[in-house]
Amino acid sequence: MNHFSRLAFAFVLLVCAPIALAAQDPRLDARLDASTRDAVVALIDSARSVGIPSEPLVQKALEGASKHADGAHILVAVRMLERELGVARAALGAASSDAEVIAGASALHAGIAPAALTRMRAARTHGSLTVALAVLSDLIARGVPGDTATTVISALTVAGAQDAELLRFQQGVERDIAQGATPSAALGVRAQSAFPAAAPRRTP
Amino acid sequence: MRQHDETEAAPNEDDVLERAAEELRRPLRIDAALFDARVMDEVHRGSTGLRDRIAQLTRPRTIRVSPLTALAAALVFAVAIAGSALYFSAPRVHAMPTDIARTASGSPLVQFGFVAPHASSVALVGDFNNWDPKATPLRAASTGGVWSVEVPIQPGRHLYAFVVDGTVWRPDPAAPQASGEDYGEPNSALTVAEPGAQ
Repeated sequence: MNHFSRLAFAFVLLVCAPIALAAQDPRLDARLDASTRDAVVALIDSARSVGIPSEPLVQKALEGASKHADGAHILVAVRMLERELGVARAALGAASSDAEVIAGASALHAGIAPAALTRMRAARTHGSLTVALAVLSDLIARGVPGDTATTVISALTVAGAQDAELLRFQQGVERDIAQGATPSAALGVRAQSAFPAAAPRRTP
Repeated sequence: MRQHDETEAAPNEDDVLERAAEELRRPLRIDAALFDARVMDEVHRGSTGLRDRIAQLTRPRTIRVSPLTALAAALVFAVAIAGSALYFSAPRVHAMPTDIARTASGSPLVQFGFVAPHASSVALVGDFNNWDPKATPLRAASTGGVWSVEVPIQPGRHLYAFVVDGTVWRPDPAAPQASGEDYGEPNSALTVAEPGAQ
């Protein structure tokens, strides 16, 4: 084997080995067609190489397969999630856990700006932000305006609210909304009663 | 033979007029009860009996309807038929609040509940079971159409849904709905705190 052949072999090995390793995931083999699977595997490999959690990407592809989405649709969804995970990782910092990055990506998907994630990270240097970010996403999904929800959840985080308290807070807001309160009003009232300092100021 | 005296027997014209005028000038007295009875008699005389009413219903009639009105009536009828067909064919699904407990070892054990009295199967799918409808079937209670399952789930934020009768995807209305629908079917969101969280 001459020098050129060895170089070519090494190149092929370098390019194909990660793909082959990822392709060994039987979940993708069994549920995606070959071309979609190869494209998803390439995206997953790319994400893994820069420290982005790959399991959410696998799950996003499998979700599409279970919902009978076509290959192009699956690739769009996986690519969008990969981008959101990357932005969340950058906004939250390299030291953030995968769970925090996943929750951060969901917050971005809900419309939160990356800078808001960075501010929340700065507000809670110790302890996980996963629940706070998840509560933030869910409140926005319930109709609470993004900037208001970010302000309140950030303030609650700074005030030292624990995960269980944040989850109870979210449940209270959802209960009020279900009983007819507007999302903004429900958030304001609950924040006022739980943490007066965190409640948004009312404009006259 | 007595001769008829024209001047005595014939009434005076002025007297006749005077008596007529007095008659007209006399105040009219109306018996209220009698008046009501007469009015009701007239009303009853004008109304038809049950036999006449039935005859009116069975008698052929010609109804004039504009094409636009006929089209609107047909549309309303079609919508009503389609709506009732959808209502009676759709599975009756009601969500129950998801409950989170801890196993003896402290790992989160999440109970999912669903009420679907007319379903033949309900499955839980999510990012914790590869979205596989065959992975986590719910068990039906003996009565009430309550389906439930307990699943150990890692802390973090998860997306999930229910699959009813193998084909119908349903989010959990009792849980927050996740933002965005990448594949057209909405998901529910579940947040599981770390076991040590207060």
